[in-house]
Amino acid sequence: MRKRKFLVAATLLLALVGVAFAQRRMPRFFPFQEGDDQPMPADANDKTEFAFARLKYPNWRSNDRMWSMRGAWSIDYPKADRQFVQGVRRLTRLNVRSVEQVVDLESDDIMNFPWAYVVEPGHWDLTDGQVKKLREYLLKGGFLMTDDFHGSMEWDIFMLSLQKVFPDRPVVDLPNTDPIFHVLYDLDDKFQIPGIVNYPFDQTYEYDGVNANWRGIYDDNGRLMVAICHNMDIADAWEWADSPHYPEKYASLAYRIGINYIMYAMSH
Amino acid sequence: MFELFFQHPLSVFQKGTFVFQSGWPGWLLGLLVLAGMGFLAWFVWRKTRLAGWTALRGAALWLLQSSLVGVLLLMLWQPGISVATLKKQQNVVAVLLDDSKSMGLTDGGSVRREEMVKTLDGGLLTELKKRFQVRFYKVSDHLERSESHQGLKGEKTASRLADGLKQIAAETGSLPIGGVILMTDGADTSGGIDRDTVNALKGRQLPVHTVGYGREQYDRDIALVDVQAPVRALADSRLGVQVILRQRGYAGQRTKLVLKDGDKALASKDVTFAADGSAQTETVLFNAGAAGVRTVQAQLLPLANEENAGNNQMTRLVQVEDRKPRVLYIEGEPRWEFKFIRRALEDDKNVQIVTMLRTTQNKIYRQNVQNPKELEAGFPATAEEMFAYEGIIIGTVEASYFTATQQALLKAFVDRRGGGVLFLGGRASLAEGGYGASEFRDILPVSVGDRRTTFYRDKANVELTANGRDNLSLRLEEDPSRNAERWKKLPFLADFQNPGTVKPGAVVHVESVSAQGRAPLLVTQNYGRGRTAVLATGGTWRWQMSQPIEDKSHEMFWQQLTRWLVAATPGTVQASTTQTVFTDDPRIPLRAEVRGKQYELQPDGQVEARVSGPAGAAQTVMLTPDPVHPGVYTGEYAAEQAGSYLVEMIASHNGERTGVDTIAFRREDGVAESFHTEQNRELLERLASETGGKYWKPDSTQKLPEEIALSEGGISTREIKDLWHLPILFLLIAALRCGEWLLRRRWGAV
Repeated sequence: MRKRKFLVAATLLLALVGVAFAQRRMPRFFPFQEGDDQPMPADANDKTEFAFARLKYPNWRSNDRMWSMRGAWSIDYPKADRQFVQGVRRLTRLNVRSVEQVVDLESDDIMNFPWAYVVEPGHWDLTDGQVKKLREYLLKGGFLMTDDFHGSMEWDIFMLSLQKVFPDRPVVDLPNTDPIFHVLYDLDDKFQIPGIVNYPFDQTYEYDGVNANWRGIYDDNGRLMVAICHNMDIADAWEWADSPHYPEKYASLAYRIGINYIMYAMSH
Repeated sequence: MFELFFQHPLSVFQKGTFVFQSGWPGWLLGLLVLAGMGFLAWFVWRKTRLAGWTALRGAALWLLQSSLVGVLLLMLWQPGISVATLKKQQNVVAVLLDDSKSMGLTDGGSVRREEMVKTLDGGLLTELKKRFQVRFYKVSDHLERSESHQGLKGEKTASRLADGLKQIAAETGSLPIGGVILMTDGADTSGGIDRDTVNALKGRQLPVHTVGYGREQYDRDIALVDVQAPVRALADSRLGVQVILRQRGYAGQRTKLVLKDGDKALASKDVTFAADGSAQTETVLFNAGAAGVRTVQAQLLPLANEENAGNNQMTRLVQVEDRKPRVLYIEGEPRWEFKFIRRALEDDKNVQIVTMLRTTQNKIYRQNVQNPKELEAGFPATAEEMFAYEGIIIGTVEASYFTATQQALLKAFVDRRGGGVLFLGGRASLAEGGYGASEFRDILPVSVGDRRTTFYRDKANVELTANGRDNLSLRLEEDPSRNAERWKKLPFLADFQNPGTVKPGAVVHVESVSAQGRAPLLVTQNYGRGRTAVLATGGTWRWQMSQPIEDKSHEMFWQQLTRWLVAATPGTVQASTTQTVFTDDPRIPLRAEVRGKQYELQPDGQVEARVSGPAGAAQTVMLTPDPVHPGVYTGEYAAEQAGSYLVEMIASHNGERTGVDTIAFRREDGVAESFHTEQNRELLERLASETGGKYWKPDSTQKLPEEIALSEGGISTREIKDLWHLPILFLLIAALRCGEWLLRRRWGAV
């Protein structure tokens, strides 16, 4: 009897939260239309020094209907990737491929891409084999940038896999003095970068992720292996940097962060 | 046998001049011989025709008869040989007796020293005394007059035969020395008989007769011939010591080659011996360890029944330097190679890597700079700034990025400063970067050409060349064969470049193997006082990312290559001696090359050497400028005591100290006598033949006094020895007559 009462109460509560969330996430005018039909650039097959590597991973409880609604390795793909590398090409001397490279932790191909980006890791669920591969990748010199996951629940899910990768290494807040914030651009004044769900951006956080967290995991020599951008959506800022509806200040910061992270990974 | 036919020793014929004693002219002899031959030709031709013989038979007869006439006429002219002979009892013969320790060795049950005495007492001395005045000298680490040949002790641990002979030539200038007899095993510990000594003896017309003692070859012996170790090394370097050995009687057997520093074992290796008598080279690698002087002793563990175990070990000094060379690495654009080279070199605690990375067109990211001012204005543009580094790595940076001054300075960095420069391949490197039209073309070990399509982002495997297999800096495995295999198995490079044509004198160590074919990958050369290299790739980072974490190929390669780049880079003072271990010789030559702040030669400075040795208190030696080589200062230190010495050479100019360098050496006594203990017959024969003397075996010295007598060295007289009655002439006459008789009998004419 008590169990039944609890289930009813929980269902009502979830329904109320859902209604409130839906109200907030669905403005009357929503100018950001996702689309996968990006044209292939003419130089897509050029051999370059660097390619934007997007990590493909299995979803958390991917059989569960509710959780499989959100969260996947391909969020913002491929527009965010391609639009970002255009900026990297223009702003740095890095020889960058115009199209992204999807990598996974099943084969050794990821070892050819020592910088990798993972979106929505608040929904990843790495297998033991993938955990092992990721640990090797990072310890050998690979670099992982994580982005677009929000709130404590996604953090917890994120950490479930990450702690399997590095059970003995702490996740720490990155100080402003860390070279990653100065390698090319000085990023002392960072702020939360909202996703498009926050349109019209009167609020920049999602769930309970009020504050942007700049975190990471260091190796034994004090070099960052994993750069964690929690409670922000840098990929959305890259993807919609060309939209007049997405504020320029967020897009600019997102580009500077992304470029700094690449420059750091290629110099440390 | 020679004397049986010719009545006189061979040396009489070698040293004398041929004369006719009849007083008749030599041309008359020739004329008569020709006339006789002509007459015989006519006579024999007539006889032949009458007898109906063939022309061949006639010619044979004519030849025999003509020869007979020739010999008879020659005898009528009374031939003789004129030789200079020493006057009896008016000349001195110096007998040098080797009194070193090696003469106490036993060969076949008899001691060499005792054999020497036995030779003299066996009649030689009596015969010598009949003709000459005999003076004895003992030779070991010095020459000493001796009253007799008795009382030799053999306590001295050195044999300086050359010094002894030179001294004899100098000190006996006023004496009528007819010859020198050197009785020795030839085990000279001072490095052999030099040209000066031979010239001094020849100048005095002193023939040296050598009498050799000791076995010329052991049946069972293992000997170290040489040990080659680097004189200086950076701390924690992996060093290679090359041990050259020779053995007899143990072909195919195994022993252990051990490297030790005092009681501490550095490394060891199992050695299988090659064929008897052949030189064999073994390489042993070890870690140099912390800064300090390593006394590296190489030892071959003795095998059963070895006849001389004293030559199984040799010592060398390796000075592990307390310095951390700074290497500047400039990279023209972000590359994975940059990151992974930095990581590999940051793991090396004894090399400091300073980097500058062009992240954007106008920004340079500097890492590991000592202060905010370092490289603030970009790549060094002054000698003082650039020469502060000991090595420079140029990544994918186009030549036009460097000013003409910077390019010229980089050349001077190698040539004058003695630094190392490594050029990496890349899309803006070598030919792609226009290096062929820049100052870089002179210092590059390759001619890059003008073609701009030389860089490929394609797979390439790597293979060591023959030179690469011998290069210790490229050893990922100690064993050369396993090392070559490991290189072949390295993951493919992410990219490669065709660097161009290898210059004469440059060495290719590694080749890339790709769909394009083979191309030089790692090429090095010495240039001026420094060295340059090209590594035509920016893709070795895959060796790190594509191998297991435990694999250290990438780190080892980069650390060893970078250490090669800077290990020999000198400071403003470069101190040296001729070797690190001096055996039985206290005279230590000291040398310093001194340069100014911009590494220009500094001939007008002062250099003092502070030597501290086993005695404790430091002694100072002032070096003097070498008049032939500006900037070079030399001196000599007498290290009387055995042990290790440290020399600090301090250079100053106008009262201001300009630089300092330290070297170490070791003095050893009694070690060299254990080496080359077999009789050095080759040396003794050469010495004798070059001075007009002869090599003698101890049991065949009966004719030695007579041989010495045939000398112009002392007070001599000329003597003519008759040749007309030589047995060989009578035998010849008989043979000619018998030959003719036999032929005639065969032809049925008798």
